[in-house]
Amino acid sequence: MRRPARSALALLFCAWALPASAQETAQVLYAQKALICGAEGDETINGAALVFRDGRIEAVGTRGEVEVPEGAVEHDLGDRWIMPGMVDLHSHIAGSGLNDTVFQCNPGLRASANVIPHNDRMKLGMLAGVTTILFIPGSGSNMGGQGVLLKTGPGGYEDALVRFPGSLKIAQGDNPKRWGYGMQRTLMNHHIRVTLRKGQAYARRWEAYERGEGERPERHLHLDIFRELEAKRTQISTHTQYYQVVLASLNILSGEFGFDAYIDHGSFDSWPLSKRAEELGVAAILGPREVLWPRVNTYPKDGRVEGSAWGFQKEGHPRIGFNTDAPVVPQEELPLQSAMGVRYGFDNTHFAAVRGVTIVPAEVAGIDHRIGSLSEGKDADIVVVTGDPSDPRSAVEMVWVEGELAADVRGERGADREGVRQW
Amino acid sequence: MIRFQARFVLALVALALSPSLPAFGAAPLIDDEEAAAEEEEKEPKDRYLVVLGADIHTGNGEVLRDGRLLAKNGKIVAIGYDDFEVPGLDYDREVPADERGYELEILDASNVPNGRVYPGMVAFSSSGLLGGGGDYRDSIDMFNRNMLLGLAAGITTTGQTSSTAKLKRYVPGNFSRDYDFDGVVIGGKTLSTVSWGTAASKRSAREKLAGAAAYLRTYRQWQVDVKKDKELKEPSKSGVDSTMLAVLRGEIFARFSADYQDDLSGIARVAMEFGFRPVITGCREGWVVADELGRAGAMAVLTPRTRRSKDEQLVAEGGSSIENAAILHSHGVQVAIIPGSRGIDLGGIAGRDIMHLPIEVGFAIRGGLPDDAGLASVTTVPARLLGVGHRVGTLEVGKDCDLIVTDGDLLHYQTFVQYTVVDGDLVYDKQDELYFAHIRPRDDSLLAPLVPFDPAEVPIEEEGDDEGEDSEEGDDEDE
Repeated sequence: MRRPARSALALLFCAWALPASAQETAQVLYAQKALICGAEGDETINGAALVFRDGRIEAVGTRGEVEVPEGAVEHDLGDRWIMPGMVDLHSHIAGSGLNDTVFQCNPGLRASANVIPHNDRMKLGMLAGVTTILFIPGSGSNMGGQGVLLKTGPGGYEDALVRFPGSLKIAQGDNPKRWGYGMQRTLMNHHIRVTLRKGQAYARRWEAYERGEGERPERHLHLDIFRELEAKRTQISTHTQYYQVVLASLNILSGEFGFDAYIDHGSFDSWPLSKRAEELGVAAILGPREVLWPRVNTYPKDGRVEGSAWGFQKEGHPRIGFNTDAPVVPQEELPLQSAMGVRYGFDNTHFAAVRGVTIVPAEVAGIDHRIGSLSEGKDADIVVVTGDPSDPRSAVEMVWVEGELAADVRGERGADREGVRQW
Repeated sequence: MIRFQARFVLALVALALSPSLPAFGAAPLIDDEEAAAEEEEKEPKDRYLVVLGADIHTGNGEVLRDGRLLAKNGKIVAIGYDDFEVPGLDYDREVPADERGYELEILDASNVPNGRVYPGMVAFSSSGLLGGGGDYRDSIDMFNRNMLLGLAAGITTTGQTSSTAKLKRYVPGNFSRDYDFDGVVIGGKTLSTVSWGTAASKRSAREKLAGAAAYLRTYRQWQVDVKKDKELKEPSKSGVDSTMLAVLRGEIFARFSADYQDDLSGIARVAMEFGFRPVITGCREGWVVADELGRAGAMAVLTPRTRRSKDEQLVAEGGSSIENAAILHSHGVQVAIIPGSRGIDLGGIAGRDIMHLPIEVGFAIRGGLPDDAGLASVTTVPARLLGVGHRVGTLEVGKDCDLIVTDGDLLHYQTFVQYTVVDGDLVYDKQDELYFAHIRPRDDSLLAPLVPFDPAEVPIEEEGDDEGEDSEEGDDEDE
């Protein structure tokens, strides 16, 4: 489903109208700095050139080394920087129907049914450089349902779709207590376990059947998502926070059942579990409450105001990212979430904060073959920014989503463009 | 931080004490140390503060790289580069503290990497920083945690409902003298809210303004006529709105709370009709009518991150824009910036409460506001609106010594306030307080990471020409 349906139609039309092998004209961007967000040691290129065509990045390197195809459209961006579109793995703004808390665990519900593509809030996010979001159900029940990974750019649902199911949303902690009277953590963990056990057994029956062992199981829409999880084609995104709750998340979801899971909405004091998370291969996606103020009933911390990202990094965790929980923190403030991580102690050497909103979440969600860095072959989701993307003072001036120019707000109002910048 | 070593500091102080230099004529002169010692019992000693070792951003456009600032009794008396060489001063002898006729503190900021001195910020309004209410002279809580956090955020003055107050915090050692409660409140009420929501309220406001304007005309005529006829009675103020009279006399600002362009241009029109400068809080669609607001001399208090889609029924431009502050500024509207949340938010979402005032300014700069206007939006403009612009908002000779030392550009998201000074007293030191000391600690801090000692990194001292490359073993034996 990579190429949108509309483009497919257009391609059909082209195939009829033009000789075969028609290609889009290549475009090349010249920028002062490219934040590649690639493997370590490959973070930035000064004096960069980037070629993209047909929605994908063809080449990236320094001006001298990149071969520019003949007839390519050239954009000299002057002193601007380019970076990959940002990724937010905890967002609720792509549609309505946030919290259908029918049962205590609703793994069969689908956020995809509620998507309103490129709605105003997604558009604002896009104008801030956020081009991919995981749209997930709310945390009113222990399993809100299935999330969907979407692009924020223009077009219909098929254009926007990156992957469905994007994740199974599990919520622990306090919000799902609201589901019913008497709900506490023990009961919630019990229900999560029961559902995971049922789901895993269901998925394994299907696996056995597909191997030619046993009878064809009865289809159960409620549990279908577990076939995806068991096959590692999707992940569990966990709304979790506080030490004890995160410990339960790690031990149950990953330790006990072996699913691909990540800490999402990783607020407050989860960092002392960093080693355990690292051991289980669980990434820490942090926000919106990234800072823990001294209070009673936490571990002794001598009055320190602790940033979650600071703590995880201090403990050596290799995969730290940031999320907004939009609209709790507005979608367009994803880069500010990373900035606040830095403010409260996260070491930003090698643009770690930018990696935390690009390649880290893309890897965690298993979409890094398409998204998360300015690398050859990946989607041309490219953001032009006036400087350090984490800095609130830096403005996003242009956004390409899959090679299509989705925003261009360069220059002075009145002189070069109409209207004002919303963001 | 109290040290007494730097020679030029002696000179600085000596300059301030010297009768021969007119620049410091205002400083009491203590020529005779004995006389000073006699007076010691009766009068409090003069307090001197020297700030050095950092770039001084005065807040009015000037930057003094590695400049120096001298304050006396809480007021700035000198800013510059000079060693202030004073003839006759004995440089070879440190005057012991007990022989000095004055108190001296030296804030040496050279331990702060990329250290910068800025004026203390002025919050147009805030909640909870003073820990009291009503008359802050009676109710201020000088041990209040939120006051500490306000000072940690770089705020030294804040507007309150009907007054303007300083964040006067208790710090042991600073208050060997009496705690200066009278210095807490530095300004009275300068803003009077004019209701501008409904048709009736707008009509009423305009009528009151018209009444006040008519009275002023009558009054001025009377001022002329009374010179001819001394018996002539002063015109009666009966029925004249005293607030609007004060507004038109320039004694108080009229404050409007308005966001929509129709409301805003209405305010601009009455302001131009009656000749006063309106202060507008909110001002969300100000960018649409910025030229009108600029002509009216309006001043705006806004939150750059405010978001609201434009009214669907509106054909014209509208809604919020990140460029609002920049467009208003470019049309001559003075802009003060305030974050969405006026209190200290301990809920864990960082970046949008009063502790993150410079972050909010950052969003205005994103929209095109120049850096200097950004700094002014949290210093001089709110100080002016609160009627304390003559005392705070910039670092200038004669003004209060309220300043902060930061570890970089104040408007950068990573920058922390390292020291805060109010009225010449050091009231906040990041490394001395619980909350942020562990975040990028200064090198002089106990919390600073130990530099690991790697013997291989230590350069080998060659003992002689013969030793050559094999000297390593020989060195070990020597040790």
